[in-house]
Amino acid sequence: MIYCDKQTRILVQGATGNQGAFHIDLMNQYARSVGGAGVVAGVTPGKGGREVHGVPVYDTVREAQAAHDTDASVIFVPAGAAADSIMEAADSGIGTIVAITEHIPVHDVMRAVAYARSCGSAVIGPNCPGLLSPGECRLGIMPSPLFTRGPVGVISRSGTLTYEVVDELTRAGIGQSTVVGIGGDPVIGETFVDCIEKFSKDSYTKAVILIGEVGGALEIEGAEAALSLDLPLVAYIAGVSAPKEKRMGHAGAIIEGGEGDALSKIQRLEAMGITVVARPSELPQKISELL
Amino acid sequence: MKLLEYEAKKVFSTFGIPIPPSILITSAREASAACKKIGGSAVLKAQVDVGGRGKAGGILMATADDAEAVATELFQKKIKGLPVKEVLVEGRLPIQKEYFVSIVIDRSTRSPVILFAESGGVEIEVTAGERPDAVRSAHVSPLFQEVPGFILRYLTRGCEKEIMPVISSLYRAFREKDALLAEINPLVVTPSGVLAADAKLIIDDNALARQGITGNRDLTEREAEAESHGFSYVELDGSIGVIGNGAGLTMATLDLIAHHKGAAANFLDVGGGAGSDRVLHAVRLVASVPTVKVIIVNLLGGITRCDEVARGIIAAGVSQQVIVRLAGTNEAEGRALLEGAGYRMLDTMEEAVAAAVLEASS
Repeated sequence: MIYCDKQTRILVQGATGNQGAFHIDLMNQYARSVGGAGVVAGVTPGKGGREVHGVPVYDTVREAQAAHDTDASVIFVPAGAAADSIMEAADSGIGTIVAITEHIPVHDVMRAVAYARSCGSAVIGPNCPGLLSPGECRLGIMPSPLFTRGPVGVISRSGTLTYEVVDELTRAGIGQSTVVGIGGDPVIGETFVDCIEKFSKDSYTKAVILIGEVGGALEIEGAEAALSLDLPLVAYIAGVSAPKEKRMGHAGAIIEGGEGDALSKIQRLEAMGITVVARPSELPQKISELL
Repeated sequence: MKLLEYEAKKVFSTFGIPIPPSILITSAREASAACKKIGGSAVLKAQVDVGGRGKAGGILMATADDAEAVATELFQKKIKGLPVKEVLVEGRLPIQKEYFVSIVIDRSTRSPVILFAESGGVEIEVTAGERPDAVRSAHVSPLFQEVPGFILRYLTRGCEKEIMPVISSLYRAFREKDALLAEINPLVVTPSGVLAADAKLIIDDNALARQGITGNRDLTEREAEAESHGFSYVELDGSIGVIGNGAGLTMATLDLIAHHKGAAANFLDVGGGAGSDRVLHAVRLVASVPTVKVIIVNLLGGITRCDEVARGIIAAGVSQQVIVRLAGTNEAEGRALLEGAGYRMLDTMEEAVAAAVLEASS
């Protein structure tokens, strides 16, 4: 598994909001069922001293960190303040920062991710469901009943489509090591490449499923990394029939060396020798051939 | 949201970028006076948001004498399907040289990148393809407030010294206006200095509120209604209405429809945690498109609860057949409600899509 396991001590930022409180409860139910550390502290500015489902809440990450020495933070803070929360977590030395929040302005994301990386922290997301290592740790909002432990790593830009694929895998008797939702925004922290590098060093993971979408070239870069690291990979790219993404003028086309549409992405992956399935339901069969 | 040329120029000008003298007109009657005011000889530019506007006939030359006739022609045109409501009357420039400068976000490096080329104009992509070394580029760390001098010197080496402050100002506009793209193509050199002869600015939709922009006018009426409910919504030209939760799952549903040789009329992503009320609005919105013959609802409940979805579908009570695939949280309750009300439930996304395609073709 990558990024998180039973030992991972979790902080939740935005702990007292609806989503934060709801998922503290779910993450800790999961932690109890697998014997993991779970959520040990929460942060909401101005709400220090409270408890949420038995978890102590602090005003600042520094205070929470001084008392609990957490390894990972899950952020449910609203879009206007979420980038600041990412930087606050990084500044306190938290190594893995999962930003669930959607609609954060992209300039804020670029700044927060650049700062976090300069601190040596990994940001997952934003606009992502987080990750789940079955039997070990639920670090985010993924619906754990669909998951089962096993040798397949999953990396995805999508949320519910990931659940669909995990459901198909579990029904086919194929378990997962870690499932990572890296987020659907134009700028994200950890990319396919970062996850593939980590999976290639993980002894539990034997093969990886990459679930991509239209836009950008991150899938191509991820596949190149998998090939160079000798990590077996199957890909599915959503959006073949989606209307062409609004092009970012001339510069976007020059930078991305193509239009980032699903079909050209699939063709580039296939030219590299990667198996790309046309339907999510074909994934269990194709991945089992690589195990 | 994309700004029109004249709006982008106004913004650039507030950041100190020189722009040509111009007057915006909304009727052909104003053309002749506008032309005289800016010096007699002018370029009339249709303010429409399309690429290749010049080639499509959206840019015409005029003098004070024929300006009204030329403007009349322009206002009657459709440029790549878009009507012309506003025309920018701009002074003709004695161009000595053209440059291309553009700032965009590079997803791979998670940072802005500045592109600069010595030959501007519409063929810049061709130039970039044939002579990649003709386009200079430099990434700027998002932690920098300004473009550092060494980057400006690198990009503009051998060029007029007036180019540097333009790039510096364009970067400030890019940052402060929350832009996804800020572009001047061409940036022209004239005897009296450099000028932005064209301008593009796209604002991040997630930052419209703090930029003081209300209402994204890139949206159609239905798209705007969808946005007011927090949905993403796109119209296509088939006959199957598609509702999903999450962009990836919705797109995958669309792809499966195409795989089964069907065609979607539209698709709507309800987002996470939709209650019955939101589902009701989603179903009615999708059903309101006259070409929709059948609707497929494909939802995976995580935060979203299937019983809430079922109540929303039933309450919407639309005339088209609704084929439903629900899985996840409270699935059994949702299924019982829908089956009780006579709705067709299928177990997998594949089965639901196949059924919808069959229904649409009958």
